[in-house]
Amino acid sequence: MDEDDRHDLELHRLVSARERSAFDELYRRYGRSAYGVALRVTSQDLIAQEVVQDAFLALWRAPEAFDPARGAFRSFFLSLVHHRAVDAVRREERLRRRTERAANLEPATGEDPAEDVVEDAYLRVRRKEVRAALATLPPAQQQVLEMAYFEGRTQVRIAEELGIPIGTVKTRTLAAMRKLREALREE
Amino acid sequence: MTEDHERIDELLAGYVLLSLSGEDAAEADRILVDHVPSCATCRATLSEFQAVSGDLALAAPPVDPPETLLPRLHHAMDEVPLSGRPPRRGALIAVAASAVALVAMGGLSVVLGNRLSNAETRTGTALEILSAVRSGAAPVNVTPQGQTPPESGMVEVSAPDVRRLYIASEFCPEPAPGHAYQLWLGSDGDWTPVWRMFWPDEGVLLLEIEVDVARYDQIWITQEAVGQRPTEPNTDGPSWLGSLT
Repeated sequence: MDEDDRHDLELHRLVSARERSAFDELYRRYGRSAYGVALRVTSQDLIAQEVVQDAFLALWRAPEAFDPARGAFRSFFLSLVHHRAVDAVRREERLRRRTERAANLEPATGEDPAEDVVEDAYLRVRRKEVRAALATLPPAQQQVLEMAYFEGRTQVRIAEELGIPIGTVKTRTLAAMRKLREALREE
Repeated sequence: MTEDHERIDELLAGYVLLSLSGEDAAEADRILVDHVPSCATCRATLSEFQAVSGDLALAAPPVDPPETLLPRLHHAMDEVPLSGRPPRRGALIAVAASAVALVAMGGLSVVLGNRLSNAETRTGTALEILSAVRSGAAPVNVTPQGQTPPESGMVEVSAPDVRRLYIASEFCPEPAPGHAYQLWLGSDGDWTPVWRMFWPDEGVLLLEIEVDVARYDQIWITQEAVGQRPTEPNTDGPSWLGSLT
């Protein structure tokens, strides 16, 4: 566990003790990443705001939902945001088909889109590591991961949309997750 | 039972990405309850895949949230009850307008929990409920059990397609600190937890459930400790029981 993870743990402990300043500090650390992924998944700023608000409120209401024995706070919280974003977009889809994704939400290519946003150095470093790891995946694996994670597609739907057997989707997904696990493994 | 770990790894990868549905999701649910807790290898795999899933969020460009979001959060935090709060009254349309929703897709398998997110969605859900009622759906009582406040009774309404149910309450008490509510689907006395826990919003609760009524015949809502995955309904706290019709 590195220094930043330990700092998160301390902030989480203080949030559990109802310290608002610690809550605000976690918001400062993770608000941009949370809003970024929520926007990326939902493509709608109002829904993304609701997702982020709900995730932080859930943290405030039930901080004990995070178990430090199960991994880093960062992973726990960003997973929570992602889950809520996928939930929201699937619900929206049932009521109406999404329209075009906003152009400024498309995945960045080349330049790091984080450069205009002030964030903690460790998150910036981790962000580059994640993107570098993703870039090493074969395009077919990147594609299924993108559709599942950022578009909230089920494996069945991915298979339908790509016209490939669902077994292939499963195989590619597992291969991608295993490669990312190795590339991103933290000491 | 001997498990195929390659198959389990496939399921766990799909599970952490929220991309399972149908039988795969049901199988993942079973493995998560029956196998993973007792298998160190699978526990490690699940933990590692969850870490990857969390970090994948960083692949999205970070974006500054609106400056109004943190003040809104502070306001909402002030409103969050840490213990019981008197319920308020309201019409069904108001229930939907400020509800907490929980959706279970494909029987018990994949669960999507979300707070209804905007006025359009809330209105849409309210209209779906009204449409179901107008189509002749008869409300069914979901009855408070034991010492559960009798005024907290819930109402269950089936959508015309039968598979979709709405469960609404205007007077749902806040769970005890550190607890939340859990929905269970029952069949012949066997209870299966629907994955994600939930809270009422100032006494108001709305659950939307897509469920295979051929597989389940009862629902049970119980109070459970947050952060744990219950395997049996908790009979000590407040709970509500209803039939699937």
